[in-house]
Order: sequence, then structure tokens, then C-alpha cells
Amino acid sequence: MRPIITLTLVGLIAAALLAIVDDLTRDPIALAKAEMKRKAIEEIFPFDIDSLKNVETKKTRFYEAYDRNGTLKGIAVESATTIGYSGKIEILLGVSPEQKIYDYKVVYHLETPGLGDKIDKAKFKEQFRGRALEGTTWKVKKDGGEIDELTAATISSRAVTDAVQRGLQYINEQYPKTEGK
Amino acid sequence: MQEMFLVIISAVFVNNVVFARFLGICPYLGVSKNLDTAIGMGFAVTFVMTVSTAITYVLQKAVLIPFGIEFMQTVMFILVIASLVQLVEIVLKKVSKSLYSSLGIYLPLITTNCAILGMALIAIQENYDLLTSVVFAFFSAMGFILAIVMFAGIRIRLEEADVPAPFKNVPVGFISAAILSLAFMGFSGLVK
Amino acid sequence: MNEALNILTRGFVRENPVTKMLLGLCPVLAVTTSAVNGLGMGLATTFVLLGSNIVISLTAKAIPDTVRIPSFVLVIATFVTIVDLLIKAYSPELNQALGIFIPLIVVNCMILGRAEAFASRNGIWYSVIDAVGMGLGFTLALLVLSAFREVLGAGTIFNIPLAGEEASTILVFALPPGAFAGLGLIIAGLNALEKKKGSK
Repeated sequence: MRPIITLTLVGLIAAALLAIVDDLTRDPIALAKAEMKRKAIEEIFPFDIDSLKNVETKKTRFYEAYDRNGTLKGIAVESATTIGYSGKIEILLGVSPEQKIYDYKVVYHLETPGLGDKIDKAKFKEQFRGRALEGTTWKVKKDGGEIDELTAATISSRAVTDAVQRGLQYINEQYPKTEGK
Repeated sequence: MQEMFLVIISAVFVNNVVFARFLGICPYLGVSKNLDTAIGMGFAVTFVMTVSTAITYVLQKAVLIPFGIEFMQTVMFILVIASLVQLVEIVLKKVSKSLYSSLGIYLPLITTNCAILGMALIAIQENYDLLTSVVFAFFSAMGFILAIVMFAGIRIRLEEADVPAPFKNVPVGFISAAILSLAFMGFSGLVK
Repeated sequence: MNEALNILTRGFVRENPVTKMLLGLCPVLAVTTSAVNGLGMGLATTFVLLGSNIVISLTAKAIPDTVRIPSFVLVIATFVTIVDLLIKAYSPELNQALGIFIPLIVVNCMILGRAEAFASRNGIWYSVIDAVGMGLGFTLALLVLSAFREVLGAGTIFNIPLAGEEASTILVFALPPGAFAGLGLIIAGLNALEKKKGSK
């Protein structure tokens, strides 16, 4: 009998302790997550963000960035692709209100370190700046498009191009146009 | 169907438990000294890994999430694995003496084989459904067997080889593992 | 006092859990792509080891033999979850980098090993010293391997570039094979050093 009582007791104490710690860390964890998202959004926009607003549609969530005067300066959206060299790549894409790209940030990827992970380096990302959904052939040069692929990482480059295009499509098709305010 | 095939290839080769995910290294080095023990350990791991992934999956979806107690995940999962190992030990002892005497010694080692807990956690993380999780766990275990059997073969040869003194035993084992893992990297990009 | 010093320092090199006893190798190989990750993992593991050694040294006598291992595992799992939640709350970047290897601290055989072999048979004072010594030894091994891999594989140390962005690095050290090879080389190096010392 004693072993069972001991084990139950240990289990109960463990559960109680964890419930307390969980309760204490629940808010900080939510805060840390929001903080990380905010940091990522700040990184892709070249201006100072005064406030952020979430705009939810049925399928997608958009983040609107406003400056101090309350003018809409940029829109960010999460996009993903599954055609990376090692599967899923997730990005956060930021565009101007005219839907021209500012920058993107790779949020999740498993691409080869040193080769495929250059998709998150400024040198590669630069070429996306200013592009819009219309007027760009969204393919890498090897496939007859306009994006310079990375040496030895064509698949990763192709995947990011796909993710960026998808992001632009989300904004173009689903973002409720609330021009200005 | 095609998706399932990709999960299988990925579990066995591309994301091999030992060479790409770095799980189950301790038993990989510990029991790969000869072929028979390697295979014995492999089958014990396969059984526990497959069943525990199924149980932890149901536990996660039916208990932890509905009650909002996800913070108990690690504790509950490791308890499931530990009890399952005990259960297997008891059943084996009763049912088949010969199987018990050949597998029995590995069973306690399995509880602390991080590949088992690892697979249970990855299956949840990847958002697989129940069937995919089970298939994934089973074939990951196959990948594990592949790794330890290959390594056992290499080690038998290494014993005969003239290795520089500081590299004897463990270091040369790691270097061979590095070369094997390099070979397995050739599989990456196979599943797109 | 000498005894305490002995317990403290033996985990550093002489009985280092990684290079000598080959325990807890999975996180050692998996997260050592950068020095920051290695250090973070080492400290998280040390915290769990310290917690479990304290609790187990205090309660071991009250726990019946039949449920000793399950109880130890429960204690360890509790501390792991606490660390997990704390890292998620206060260092989300580290959480992202270490991934499932945080919950997997539970099955780090070093921790259960210390609980079994040391904490359950010794008082709290020695158990604390043992945990600190072994934990630091573990952290040291992680740090050396991760620094080695980061410098060679990425050309940076603690994310500070050592050479220009365009410098070519030995990529393989950032990849899985580099983890195995790096650890193999470090252990071989230690063996060679030891032999030299012994022959003098």
C-alpha cells in the first residue's frame, strides 16, 4: 500500500506545483509571444511604429502599423510554403498601403545552415523591395522569372518566392481596404 | 496515400532519428557492440515507441487540451512511457520466457531513450492525425533500427582496425557516426 | 572540505558527464550549433539537476524501493516543466532555438543517473555540490563543442562575427555530421592530453 500512496502523493504535489507555476507564467508567456511578434513586425518596416492593430478576416490575420499621426504606414501578414528544401518555411511579409513590399522576415525554417538559410539575409531579401503582385514574374531566374536565386540553394529561393507571392495574394484578395484610417 | 509515403520516407531516411534528429544516441552507442543485441533493442524500441505515441496522442487530445492542462504534458507523457515499459516487462515475463530473456535487459533502458518521448512530442508538434502519428512513430523506429544495425556492423570492423591510440573506442565511433550522418544528408531534399 | 572540493571538481574533466561518461548526448549533439544555445541548454539542465538532487536527497528515505524510479522521474519531470515554462516566458528566442530538447531534459540519463547514484544516498549539502559540479561539467562540454562548431561552421562566436559576412566557413561543422565529428575530436584530444600527463 505504501508505494502507491507515496507515488500518488508525489504526483499530486507535482501537479499542484506545476499548476501554480503555470498560473504565474501564463501572462508572461502571452506577453513574450506578443513581444516577439511586435519585434518581428518592427524589423520588417523601415519606419517607427506607434501602434499596431490586428485586422482579422475569416481566413487570415493582418497587422496594420500606424505612425504617430495615426496614418496607416504598412500592413504585415504571415505566409508560408511547404516547398522548402526541408519542408515548411514561414515568413512575415510587410508591405506599404500601396501593397509594395518593404521587407520580409523568415520566422520558421529548417533549410540547410549556411546555404538555404541565406533566404533570411539582407543581401537576398533586398531584391524583393518595392515589388508588387502585379508587374513581377514570381519565379526564380532559373525558371524564367525575375528573382535571383541563391547559389546552391535554388529550392530554398524558389520556396521563399512562393511564400512571398502567397503573402501578396492574401493581402490583395482578403485584406479589407480601409484606406487611411 | 502520397502524404503517408512522404511521412514514411522522411521518418526512415531524411529525418532519421539518430543521424538527423539526434535522438536515442545513448542506446545507439551502448548496444551497438554486436548485431544481435542491436536488433533486440531495435524491436523493443519499435514496440514501445509505436504504442506510446498512440497513447500520448489520445491523452493530449482527449485530456490535456480539453482540460487546459497542457503544462502537464511532459509529466504525463513520461509516466505513460514508464508504465508502458513496466507493463511490457510484466507481460513478456508471463507470456514468453525466451523473448523476455532476450529483450528484458533492454526494457529499463527504454524509459530513458529520448527517441521515445521525442517522437511522441514531435507527432503532436507536427499536428499529425492519429493514424499518421502511429505510422510516423513506427517508421521512425525502423530508422532507428537501420542506424544501430549499420553502426553495429561498422563497429565490428573497427575492432580489427588499427586506430590511433587517442581515437580508440569512443572517438572513432563518433567519427564513423559523422560519416554515416553525412551519407544520410544525401537524402535531404528527397521529400519536398 | 576536501571531500566537498573533490565532489565539486570531478565533474569538470575527470568524470565529465559528456566526455567521460557519455551521458545526455542527445542534447549535446543537437543544440550545439551556436554557443548561446549550448550555454542555455547547459544552464537549463544544471537547474533541473540541482532541483532534482535537492528534492531527492531530502526525500529518498521516505520513498519505498518499488516506486523509486517512477518517483524520481516525476520529480525530474516537474522541474523540467518549470524550466520549460520559465524559458517560454522570459527567453522566447532560446525556446525557439532549443525546441523539444527542453522537455527532453527529462530523459537526460545524466539527471536520473545522479539521482540514483548520488543524491538518493547522500545528504543535501553534498548533493547540491554534486549537482553544481556535474551541471557545470555538462555546461562546459556543451560550451566547448558549440563554440568549436559555431566558429568553424558559421564564423561567429556568441553571434559576433569573427570574419566578414562573405568569409567562407567549414559548413559541415554546422550540420549534423559536424556534431558527431566535433565531439569525437574533443574526446580524442582529451585522451591524448591525459596520456601525455600519465606518461610524465
